[in-house]
Amino acid sequence: MRRWLVTGAALTLAAVVAVGLVLGPTTGADRVESIGQGIRCPVCQGESIADSPSTTAREMMDVVREQVAAGRSDQEILDYFTARYGRWILLDPGLTAQTVALWALPLLAAAGGIVVIRRQLAGDEPAPDGDELEQLRDRVARLRGSGETVHGQ
Amino acid sequence: MTGTIGTAGTALALVSAVALVVFGWAGARGRATAGLVRTSARLLLLGGVVAMSSLVTALLRDDFSLSYVAETHARATPFPYDVATAWAALEGSIVLWLLVLVACTWLVARAVRSEDRLGLGAAAVLGMVSLFFAGLVLTAANPFAAVTPVPVDGPGPNPLLQNNPLMAVHPPLLYLGYVGLSVPFAFGMSALALGDAGRAWLDRTRRWTIGAWVLLTAGIAVGALWSYEVLGWGGYWAWDPVENASLLPWLTATAFLHSAIAQARRDVLRAWNVALLIATYSLTILGTFLTRSGVVASVHSFSQSAVGPILLGFFVVVLASSLGLLARRGHLITSGRRIDRVVSREGMFLVNNLLLSLLTFVVVLGTTYPIVLEAVTGSQVSVGRPFFDRFAVPMSWLLLAAAAVGPLLPYRAVRREVVLRRLTPPVLAGLAAGAVLVVTGVRTPSVVVTTMLAVVVAGAVAVDLTGRTADVPGGRVRAAARVVRANLPWWGGQLAHLGLAVAAVGVATTGALTTIEETTLSTSEQADVAGVSLRFDGREVVEEEHRTSQVARFTLVGQDGSETALDPRLNLYNNSTQPVATPAVDRGITRDVYVSLRRLEENVVTIEVLHRPLQWLLWVGLTMIVTGGGVAALGRRSARRRSAPTGQPATTTRTGKPVGSS
Repeated sequence: MRRWLVTGAALTLAAVVAVGLVLGPTTGADRVESIGQGIRCPVCQGESIADSPSTTAREMMDVVREQVAAGRSDQEILDYFTARYGRWILLDPGLTAQTVALWALPLLAAAGGIVVIRRQLAGDEPAPDGDELEQLRDRVARLRGSGETVHGQ
Repeated sequence: MTGTIGTAGTALALVSAVALVVFGWAGARGRATAGLVRTSARLLLLGGVVAMSSLVTALLRDDFSLSYVAETHARATPFPYDVATAWAALEGSIVLWLLVLVACTWLVARAVRSEDRLGLGAAAVLGMVSLFFAGLVLTAANPFAAVTPVPVDGPGPNPLLQNNPLMAVHPPLLYLGYVGLSVPFAFGMSALALGDAGRAWLDRTRRWTIGAWVLLTAGIAVGALWSYEVLGWGGYWAWDPVENASLLPWLTATAFLHSAIAQARRDVLRAWNVALLIATYSLTILGTFLTRSGVVASVHSFSQSAVGPILLGFFVVVLASSLGLLARRGHLITSGRRIDRVVSREGMFLVNNLLLSLLTFVVVLGTTYPIVLEAVTGSQVSVGRPFFDRFAVPMSWLLLAAAAVGPLLPYRAVRREVVLRRLTPPVLAGLAAGAVLVVTGVRTPSVVVTTMLAVVVAGAVAVDLTGRTADVPGGRVRAAARVVRANLPWWGGQLAHLGLAVAAVGVATTGALTTIEETTLSTSEQADVAGVSLRFDGREVVEEEHRTSQVARFTLVGQDGSETALDPRLNLYNNSTQPVATPAVDRGITRDVYVSLRRLEENVVTIEVLHRPLQWLLWVGLTMIVTGGGVAALGRRSARRRSAPTGQPATTTRTGKPVGSS
């Protein structure tokens, strides 16, 4: 009975969260700001034009603002800057011939890590069987005179 | 004169380092050289102290006959920036590195005995590292070179460095952490050389790693706070290559702190732990190379010099020799024991290690990719925040989940009912928190997910505490206090987990819910900007000996009519033509109001105002992480002291065979 209650409550709450997230944020993000976050300030050292206080960055932000106001899409605005400065201007490296390794290597590493761990786990020493462990635990509990298993750090 | 003394001190350090290597190695091979090792370490320390103090003395006495002082100091530089100048530029920072290194070496070697072969071997490795850095100070990074004719005054330090006192603390803390990690590395190499990575080895490396980790964490946190207070963009972390450099060894050291527990409790992952220490140390050298060579564009690249290639060479040597040693002798230290299943405490340590190692890999890759790509193909690409966030955000969520679940799982075999019983309350609390958020209108996915996970972590700590106090007699609060005091290392770790949860929420809210608005005001004009009301009261010019400041006086008018002064300013230092804009921040429980100057004329000002919700959560969370680490480090010490008289010998067999690996 209790288990059903708990499961029901968890499912209800999860549904509320899911619906809320699907409905989406109540306010839209600032497009000028988020586009600016993705463009590198050409005279600074690795900052975005949204973050940099330099004059060049300010002027580039004004260009972004004008183009957003003129109804151009995010991609069109990014293309505008890429055409002038090259791909280097985008802080997001994206997936191109030159960045395949950048995106593929982490995924390969993750796969490799999981394989290594699975190998590690497939040890020849099987875990003690459940019942046996139960009896051991009860014996320890009797000897210690307490019901809780010992756990430290 | 001061320069000569500094050079002599460094030379003494160099010679003592050679002696330390020779005697330490002989001792590790069974000769009775402990006395000579202790003496060498004392002389090494003396040399390092003399080198650093002559540099500081020269700065305090405006002795411009030293090249370093002539290039980085000015008579008008006020305290404490004159002292901080000692490590603000390349050569001085290497001297500080040397000082911290020889101090750590002395701490390891000062009480070493002839039968302690592990300690003698570690002292020899530290001697080799000290030799390298003393050599660097004498050659490519020499701050003591004589300048003729002696200039009357100098340009003074980089304006950014003298703009905020946090800059006096950030580099030394980072260096204490960075260099402190040399000691676990030295013990790791010694363990490989001697084929001994048992209990005694683990105890010593853990002690040093957690100490260094606390300082490194504090250094990174102070750097983030500095960025927030000084740089004027309202952020604290930009995935700048040099920030990444400080994060990398932190990630692997954090992984070690967790997997070391698995080794202590279950005697698993021995060789892996040595590998983590090697990686950690190599990453500190790689990080220093990135910072100091100018190969990456960064707010931190102040200097370019021959030190870069030398550090890169040292990195390659360290990595090649230690990995070679690990490959050839790693089998000597493995216990052969394995982890049975993922859903267990030690299994969660494995998950934690996988995630942290992957994140390390991603950050190394993203940081070095543009350099390597340009070197190989000549084409330029930027790897910035969007790339790092795409990996770091989901991986941080998984780490939070592991931090919640791990501490509730028992070691080895796990009964499902026990796990479900313990996990149900925190998971329900997390879901409830998520539901409350979306119903009240906070529906940004990153904020909702992070908050839910943070609540699960907090709930897990609460379940853990109540579970362990259940059969302790007395009132609940006193019982909890007794339980916590009885196992400080564990509860320090739990406090750090709570801090991680709190900081994560701060990162999410400030990242997704910050509003920014730019506005132009004339004197006495008041306007509503980014949800607050600001009045511009006028410009004021403040003259100081080393700088001229234009201060824009603002008043933040609250809804209840309360007034708070906010004074962002432009500081123009004597040695610079470009003013440093310093923002002003009003901190509050619900939000920070951050005012950054864009343009300032006599009667007109253009400002950018940021409304950053719950910014304080980040600072409080970081403080909790550092405090938790400190409690764990000190708790380990007092636990050792308590157990020392009764002589729990399980921890100290000299041959390192694990005794009663519980």
